[in-house]
Amino acid sequence: MAGGQIDIEHLTKTFDDVLAVDDISLEMTSGEFFSMLGPSGCGKTTTLRMIAGFERPSSGRIALDGVDMQHTPPHKRQVNTVFQSYMIFPHLNVYENIAFGLRRQRCSKEETRRRVNETLELVQLGKLAARKPSQLSGGQQQRVALARALVLSPAVLLLDEPLGALDAKLRRQLQIELKTLQQTVGITFVYVTHDQEEALTMSDRIAVMNNGRVEQVATPREVYEEPATEFVADFMGVSNLIDAEAEAKDGDGCRLRVGDFTLRAHGGDCEARGPVKCLVRPERVRLEAYDAAGENRLPGMVERLVYLGSAIQVILRLATGDKLQALAQNDGGTLEYTQGTAVQAYLPPDALRVLRSAGAATTQEQPELTRPATDEASGRINLQPLVSETATDGAANDRP
Amino acid sequence: MRSELVIRARRLPWGAYALGAIVIAYLLWSLAPVAIAFLFSFNRGFSRSVWQGFSLQWWTGPNSVFHDSMYYDAIKHSFLLAAFAVIITVPLGVSLSVFLSRWRGRTSRPASLLATLPLVVPELVLSLAMFFLVTKLLHFISLGTPAQVLGQVTFILPLVIVITRGRLASIPIGFEEAAMDLGASPLAAFRLVLVPLLAPAILASAIVAFAVSIDDFVITQYMASTASTTSVPMLIYNATRGSATPALNATAIVMAMTTIVVTGTGYLLYRALSRREQITAVAGDQFPTVPALGEGVR
Repeated sequence: MAGGQIDIEHLTKTFDDVLAVDDISLEMTSGEFFSMLGPSGCGKTTTLRMIAGFERPSSGRIALDGVDMQHTPPHKRQVNTVFQSYMIFPHLNVYENIAFGLRRQRCSKEETRRRVNETLELVQLGKLAARKPSQLSGGQQQRVALARALVLSPAVLLLDEPLGALDAKLRRQLQIELKTLQQTVGITFVYVTHDQEEALTMSDRIAVMNNGRVEQVATPREVYEEPATEFVADFMGVSNLIDAEAEAKDGDGCRLRVGDFTLRAHGGDCEARGPVKCLVRPERVRLEAYDAAGENRLPGMVERLVYLGSAIQVILRLATGDKLQALAQNDGGTLEYTQGTAVQAYLPPDALRVLRSAGAATTQEQPELTRPATDEASGRINLQPLVSETATDGAANDRP
Repeated sequence: MRSELVIRARRLPWGAYALGAIVIAYLLWSLAPVAIAFLFSFNRGFSRSVWQGFSLQWWTGPNSVFHDSMYYDAIKHSFLLAAFAVIITVPLGVSLSVFLSRWRGRTSRPASLLATLPLVVPELVLSLAMFFLVTKLLHFISLGTPAQVLGQVTFILPLVIVITRGRLASIPIGFEEAAMDLGASPLAAFRLVLVPLLAPAILASAIVAFAVSIDDFVITQYMASTASTTSVPMLIYNATRGSATPALNATAIVMAMTTIVVTGTGYLLYRALSRREQITAVAGDQFPTVPALGEGVR
């Protein structure tokens, strides 16, 4: 059971002329829950398929526990996959599906029966062994797919958006189960998803990918709170990215000029000078009365309020012309702001992160940044980013 | 439920009745000759056009379909050819179509075009060409059963390929990948996953191959040698020019009935196979979500 270390070195994959994976190097350590997160087309699934052996790398190397996998066909690799659409064999029942791999390994009848039953218990499908896949719900099918792979005790389990086809409630439940399961069996999970919430809740480490490249590899906390690039900041949920001019050093941080205002920032790349992006999470923005005074305050006007359930999203138009999102917790009281209220937005220095503005605004144009609608039901903060406000938010908000 | 009833009860436009009348008229028109042929196989006399009273002599007598070797042998030969056609074209066609659709090589497109070419070449042209080929070039293939089998296989194979590829297109390659992921070699993945999933197409191919082979006249006639390689369609064609007895009608009826029984059984099997999938697909939505893993843990 020990083992399950994957080393990816300078992996590149081109399909005809399209560069799908662009020189990535990753290390997935034994027993780790490792997520590859990114928008569709970022190369995460292609990377997973190369680990499984379904795609041949154009160049680079994949090693499992130090052994180069280049000449190992998929059926001889010590990795198993949970496919996005499960791919449970429709002509076999649940038991036969799970026993499929063991039979290929020429396991004895008794051992096959014992291991299948154990795995059925593990994923709590014990009573459904005789069912045909088409008689199962989506969540049950997902478990069969999981059991079918786990029963072989692989060194590494590859999961390709396994929760993508399920509804939001079930997905949240299965996230916790998957994480518990991974800790129970102790094998390496490589998890591909485009859902940042999934990646944050389950992973030990996350690789955020974009355009075939890895933008950042870090723990969920780091990826969320200390994004390395503008893309990561944007992709990890709604962030405010304000254009600013980094001027000078200021104590631990640096001084930023935003329009006619000056802000102090303590986070991020404080050595940068010139045009930068200034990142602040909506939940860190504090709204104060218009006559509040002090540093790091920007005046603005409430442009619209969006009710999210557990919180209220406040969209401000700053005096600089920028838009800024703030999040007010719904603590039962009524919000004293309405559309048109003039306020001060207090941006604490330690909540401001400076990001070198590298790829310009391209990342903001990514349509994938729009979160799937199912996420809204969660009451979490993954609404659309500022740039993609749609007419529907407006309609919801224009009610008096 | 209710709305369905309302729709059904709604009066149909007169055009629908006209269409229904045309359909019924067509059915009568196409079945009448069969019925007449069937009737005349019970004629007491030798005529196939003048009714001379009822008799079973063409079914049971010394000159009947089951006793006159001319008729009996033709039926046997037809079924022999059909058996060969099914046994050869189905496995070959299925393997070829799997190869053509799962293999994305540079030549896969031209190859699949070539494979379906005999479908559009007129059978007469194909027959003439094959006759020339067999008699002038390929001397090791003799006219008669071997050449007849070869000819039928040549033009039935594309039908099998077309049927199988249609089904293959709807089977995601992910099933084979999943099988390989679980340790099945490519061959085992084909045998254990793809073949069962292709079962309806394989059955449909067998039915079509059987029916087309039984029915074939042109290429079977061209490739024939002696009287022993006469198939039923050939017999009927030749006999109508000579003095045929109602035993010929009986022969035709025997062929028709057997074909109907074989293809009908095949069709029912096909229905059962594909129905199973449909029902299960619907049932998938009917089953409520199970209690999730977490609930059992508590």
